[in-house]
Amino acid sequence: MSDSSSAATLTRPTAPVNRPRPNPLRAGIDSNRLQDPCNIIFFGASGDLMKRMLLPAMYNLRLEDMLPSDFGIVGFSRSSYTDEQFRAEMKKSIDEFSRSGPAKEPMWGDFEKRISYISGDFDDVACFRSLREHLENNDKVLGTKSNRLFYLSTPPSLFSPIINMIEQSGLGPRDNRDGWTRIIIEKPFGTDLDSARALQSEVEKVFNERQVYRIDHYLGKEPVQDIMALRFANVIFEPLWNRRYVDSIQITAAETVGVELRGGYYDSAGAMRDMIQNHVLNLMTLVAMEPPALSDFEAIRDEKFKVLTALRPIDRNRVFLDTARGQYDAGSIAGKPVAGYREEPDVAPDSNTDTYAAIKLYIDNWRWADVPFYLRSGKRLARKGSEIAVRFKSIPHRLFGELGDTIDNNVLVMKIQPEEGISLRFSAKVPGPKMHIRSVSMDFNYGTGFGVASPPAYERLIGDAMRGDATLFTRWDAVEAAWGAVMPVLERWQDVIDETFPNYAAGGQGPASAERLLAADGREWRKI
Amino acid sequence: MPQSPGDVAMTAPIVATDFDSLRAALARSSISATTMNFIVWIDDVGFRDWVLERTAKILDKHPARAIVLDACADGKPGATLVRSEPDDADAAHITVQGERVEIGVAGMSTEQIRELTASLTMNELPTLLWWTGKGITGQPNFDALVHLADSLVVDSSGTRNDNATVVELVRFLDSRRSVGIRDLAWMRLRPWQDMIARFFDDPTLREELYSVRSLQIISGSDAEALYLGGWLASRLGWTASGHDEFSDQSGVRIPFRSERAGRIRRVRSVELTTTTTTYNATVSDDDETLVVVKASGKNAMNGRFVPLQAVDSPSLLERAILEGSTDEVFETALRMVGALTA
Repeated sequence: MSDSSSAATLTRPTAPVNRPRPNPLRAGIDSNRLQDPCNIIFFGASGDLMKRMLLPAMYNLRLEDMLPSDFGIVGFSRSSYTDEQFRAEMKKSIDEFSRSGPAKEPMWGDFEKRISYISGDFDDVACFRSLREHLENNDKVLGTKSNRLFYLSTPPSLFSPIINMIEQSGLGPRDNRDGWTRIIIEKPFGTDLDSARALQSEVEKVFNERQVYRIDHYLGKEPVQDIMALRFANVIFEPLWNRRYVDSIQITAAETVGVELRGGYYDSAGAMRDMIQNHVLNLMTLVAMEPPALSDFEAIRDEKFKVLTALRPIDRNRVFLDTARGQYDAGSIAGKPVAGYREEPDVAPDSNTDTYAAIKLYIDNWRWADVPFYLRSGKRLARKGSEIAVRFKSIPHRLFGELGDTIDNNVLVMKIQPEEGISLRFSAKVPGPKMHIRSVSMDFNYGTGFGVASPPAYERLIGDAMRGDATLFTRWDAVEAAWGAVMPVLERWQDVIDETFPNYAAGGQGPASAERLLAADGREWRKI
Repeated sequence: MPQSPGDVAMTAPIVATDFDSLRAALARSSISATTMNFIVWIDDVGFRDWVLERTAKILDKHPARAIVLDACADGKPGATLVRSEPDDADAAHITVQGERVEIGVAGMSTEQIRELTASLTMNELPTLLWWTGKGITGQPNFDALVHLADSLVVDSSGTRNDNATVVELVRFLDSRRSVGIRDLAWMRLRPWQDMIARFFDDPTLREELYSVRSLQIISGSDAEALYLGGWLASRLGWTASGHDEFSDQSGVRIPFRSERAGRIRRVRSVELTTTTTTYNATVSDDDETLVVVKASGKNAMNGRFVPLQAVDSPSLLERAILEGSTDEVFETALRMVGALTA
């Protein structure tokens, strides 16, 4: 029942004693349903994330019969609610935000019986003891069998106090011998390398690594998982997937939105912290990793980690040569005027925060030596779009093509959002007597029609954590390595105020410095 | 020519005056990814729009070449080629392109139909035949088309509530060659099978399975009841002792009562009684998409709602496409149905 990882001791397998026969009715009926009964405890349950994402995700898991037969949902927050008031609030959130539409009877009535609420301070051990008694009661009444999944959806500053209270109140895994205890921690995991290490030291006092699920909802998106399918379920790409054939790789995460209501948080974070350090580097590891020996989640996470350890450290003296940063000015998006970043609510009028970040990285291993990876992310850009573009090298010898024809490099693009699919650019002959060559694009789009939308990332990720599958969660060593990779940039950017800010108009392609970053290598960004 | 609700997202149809021009039009295919040939046979005019609508839904998700063979008496000869494309070029949510050829085949000989269909299928792709026709065995057109297919999809309770089609399927099972068989009536039972299995997932209740004393199923058509009974029997090592009775491995007789009631293609209730407990799953009176599962007796369990998931025909067709071509559990259950209905 426990997730505790013991040291690798080899023991002789023992014959099963009185092991029950397998259920013969299960042959051929693979169920995705989560098997272990459990309580899932949401800290910060009165917050926006709970209302918009987490509770709707739980409800939809129930509607799709994915939840175990016996489960409990416990909200914990400072706000004062009775169980009934909290359930009413949650019903409102379902009505407003659930992808399946408003809550319907009799399913909602059945579901809400399993929702309860504890009001308390995050640093008050008495409140956590009340929570423990509540969970023990749930075990008896709801049959949740001492399995507990904690979800930290509070501001990051509360992560450490909550973890500490979990331990002090006897809710930690060491005190739970009858079931498993796991914890999901929302991003950001730290605001820099030091704070991440400090948080980790608090986490590992209570939980071992196999019990910790650091969530990056980006990894729950279907197309991100499709990257592995493209690479490892096809034979034709992998032989070309190396320095011999690949010229460069661009990874883009572009948004049209500004900071909206997150100005206070974002102004102390910026694009490098908010996107590159986690989402974009995660995409890079999926593109660059070696084939794992197993589909086991640790094997996959091992390979992703190896990519991060092979990143060439950024020389502090080259930070301004190998990166670009930007901050959006007023402009227009879809024909509508939008304010500049410094005019956004809760943003300092002289802010030095990057709303656009680009970086050139190298992976120093046999597969990728000297192949540049260009990563960029920004707000208020011309289009929303996340993609990975693998640009292959030029043909070694030009055989075809009339004068004036250009033979473009092959480019394989994995589109992540909002379009989902793959396109391949290759050269073809233009019909006619002459051997004119032009580029054509072969596109494959993942359909999401059929009346059913792709499940939101949170449904997938919460389900995975309840199942104990950490494939799509980030392991501490990878978090640490990712912070390590970007720290020289963050430090130099903090040291040197960018006097050109704001340096790109909202609705554009980003700052000119980003164009120069690639131009210096004789390349250019794909158009956003 | 046949029209379908799916046409709303389609390009203007190309009406081919002869089949050579149809092949030429297909050769100029604009779709950029294709996953299968999808042959659809229709010979019941009352069922035609229903089939075409579901075919269009499949093409919305799975880029494919659908060859719809319309043998209805009122069908006109000739062919129409319709290509689906996003109804809004900027819409990211509908991105699949497919093409559908609708051919009126009433009056054509079996050999003509076979040759025409074979010439329109694409090589290197799996071919799925969705046979919605009346009858299976002894149908020359069926025999001709099934040889072109890697997988066959039928629905034993698609249009009728008796056991005629499922009995024919038993006979086909013994005569078929390499084609995989999928019966939507069987696939529709997946949530019910899961619910029944779930009663006994708890290892402490596992042995209860070997003390079943009676089985009762209420469904709107016979195929579902037969399949559920055949499935339980084949999984638990029972033998059929007649049309309404099984014997377990110890020779204990297990009465099997099936009652036809409620909507066609839908199970209403399943009840399994062991020596100690009665396990029951019944569609909710308030919401027919929910099933109330409960147990009474020694291992009593309070009622619990279980949603009936993905039992609509497009979802079942999609599963038929995605799952492998053979299903041993299905085939052993079908053989048990054969023993029950012999």
